[in-house]
Amino acid sequence: MNRARKGAVVGTAVALVCSVAAGCGSAGGGSNTANAAQSGGAKPIDTAHAKGTIVWATPPITQTGLPETMVKAFEQSHPNIKVKLQLQDNNTDTNRASLTTAIGGGSNTPDVYLGDVVWPAQFAANQLAKPLTGLVPNSFWNRFADGLVQGATYHGKVYAAPFFVDTAFLFYRKDLLAKAGLSVPKTWEDVQKDAQILQKKGLVKYGFVWQGASYEGLLCDFDEYLADAGGQVLDKDGKPAIDSAAAKKALTFMRGLITSGVTPKSVVQFTEQESQNVFTEGNAAFIRNWSYAWPNSQDPKASKVVGKVGVTALPSFNGGTGYSTIGGWDLYVNPHTKNLPAALAFIDWMTGKQAQSILAKQFSEIPTNKQVQNDPSVKQKSPIFSIVPKVKYVSRPAQNPNYPAIAKAVYSNVNAALAGSVSTDKALANAAKQIQSALGGNGGL
Amino acid sequence: MAMHQTLSSGVVRPPSRRVRLLRNQRRAGYSMLLPMAVVIAAVTLFPILYSVWMSLNDVHLETNGFALSFTGLANYRVLAGSRVFWHSVWFTVYYAVVTVAVELILGTLIALAINGVRRLKDLSLVIMLIPWSLITVISAQMWAYIYNGVYGVLNAILQALHLIGGPVAWLGSPGLAIAAMMVADIWKTTPFVVIILLAGLQMIPDEYHEAAYMDGANRWHAFWRVTLPMLRGSIALAGLFRILQAFGVFDLPFVLTNGGPGTATESLAILGYETLFQNLHFGPGTAVAVSTVVMVLIVCLVFLSAFRSMVETEGA
Repeated sequence: MNRARKGAVVGTAVALVCSVAAGCGSAGGGSNTANAAQSGGAKPIDTAHAKGTIVWATPPITQTGLPETMVKAFEQSHPNIKVKLQLQDNNTDTNRASLTTAIGGGSNTPDVYLGDVVWPAQFAANQLAKPLTGLVPNSFWNRFADGLVQGATYHGKVYAAPFFVDTAFLFYRKDLLAKAGLSVPKTWEDVQKDAQILQKKGLVKYGFVWQGASYEGLLCDFDEYLADAGGQVLDKDGKPAIDSAAAKKALTFMRGLITSGVTPKSVVQFTEQESQNVFTEGNAAFIRNWSYAWPNSQDPKASKVVGKVGVTALPSFNGGTGYSTIGGWDLYVNPHTKNLPAALAFIDWMTGKQAQSILAKQFSEIPTNKQVQNDPSVKQKSPIFSIVPKVKYVSRPAQNPNYPAIAKAVYSNVNAALAGSVSTDKALANAAKQIQSALGGNGGL
Repeated sequence: MAMHQTLSSGVVRPPSRRVRLLRNQRRAGYSMLLPMAVVIAAVTLFPILYSVWMSLNDVHLETNGFALSFTGLANYRVLAGSRVFWHSVWFTVYYAVVTVAVELILGTLIALAINGVRRLKDLSLVIMLIPWSLITVISAQMWAYIYNGVYGVLNAILQALHLIGGPVAWLGSPGLAIAAMMVADIWKTTPFVVIILLAGLQMIPDEYHEAAYMDGANRWHAFWRVTLPMLRGSIALAGLFRILQAFGVFDLPFVLTNGGPGTATESLAILGYETLFQNLHFGPGTAVAVSTVVMVLIVCLVFLSAFRSMVETEGA
């Protein structure tokens, strides 16, 4: 059923109330009557008298005590509810494995957990998340920035509340560009060309670093070039569309970055951390990374390039703003929870103005709450926040319960092509074949 | 059991008092073992059989637990037709064969050397055991730094010696990545082989070698004709343990390459983990697990019989 929604590109213009053409029914939103019909008339849970203890499972997100700060502030405003923090692994896949083991095994804790934005379909299909539609007042969904609730929707029900958004930017060394008399590149080709100039002048060791290891992060990088070139992973009928001229253009460009020496060969082993290390050590002129790279590069303890970094939206092949993969984290409710009112009260507060302002101002994460996103006092905290409204988002083909296997079919084959062990043509053909198998429900085998 | 056979295989006659007593004792023994047997069955046999059963079903996760519907060998047919699966079988077998073979040869040499050391034997043993005592995820992380393509130690050393022109992405191409992973494995687990073989060496009485030298054998002959045949059991034991472990290799590729580049270093354990815990495809995932067990059993049997015939011909 989610076929019609598999278009890889979801612009920011996608409305909160998900369009009928998208075929997913109401994601909540504007009209109360429409939504009451959708949820079969279920009454929202009364959270006003919620009390007791709930467990919140979350990765540390930042290394600066974000979850602890949130819990403390929540308990102050809700003296009747205690939140026990259950810290999860920072590795998203390990985190998922431990959650699926616990919840799949029937555990009633954690009551609330923080999960990746690409999880709703898989978690909904496997009964690992409780649908929130109907449990919260319909007006609840109005607080979120456009398009976010749709990303958490599966088969017409919303399974998670967006907590923070993340997306990719191009960070550059403004000192080096100034030295070489270059302006901020507007196209991908310019990034490559400028990087080469800076390397030739001996100003920097590597030109451009990004995430090329065989993991989800590579899919995000690849998806951006792919969308720019006019391609997508799945077509609008949900069939593999990756064996295309656009995909070939995207992959050939990425491989060309390596063969031209702009990107180190070992990029095929880079996750965010490795690429960020190269950049903060001052060994790269450009990096494609998520928003955390801004505070990270400005931290004198972690970075040698403090004050030398500029940031802009990702470029494109033809000039103008390019696509950035939309990422981030949502709050989910365990279907076995024994304290639904407290869980919902917690989610309500976490996505409200107070929590979202803390998130943005203290921890530089992009808030999901529309009002906080547009708050001028938030905007001046990080240059990232002013670029966000300009970003063109591309979403991953995550509206499918077999998404992990689809993603792996893409990133493992793209990674092999980047390493030069197979040709770009062969890699894309293999990816298409494995996606087909993944769609058939064979777990990517 | 053996005792029962010897006793009852004689001439037919009414059981003597002694035999009756033995039977009663045996019955009492079995009944005392029963609770333990039940516990073991519950914690090992049941999960194994349940995995086998799951692998024959289409499995869905529902709110109340797993929902199974029998599909026969469908999951195995999926595996049989899967390029990813066969690649991972190939990698796992290749990896196991090469690392175990090298570890057995190296382990034998080191064990002989340590056995011959007169002074500081304990110290050399302890030093040698360090790699084995490190937790694999930690030593794997260490190797990841050594092999790192940008600031790796290996590149720094080789570049300082002018052996390579520029940095090499050691984990960036399939051939190199597999070799690099084998080196890390051999470094880590050779000490395990050494320990077992050293115990075996110390059980060989000195008289055997003395007698061989009296008969005019040189050191080489003594090794082939005395040491190696006497060590046979220990080598087989070490080899078996290593094959079992190598077939389940997970932590090393998980940390070093996450199965990459592409799927070049994706072992059966990694594939099973991904299918089960990332993709939540419990049917095909358990089929991977069950097939792995069957393959390990086959390889162990082949290893044992090949090893026996090899040593017997050498020893003859």
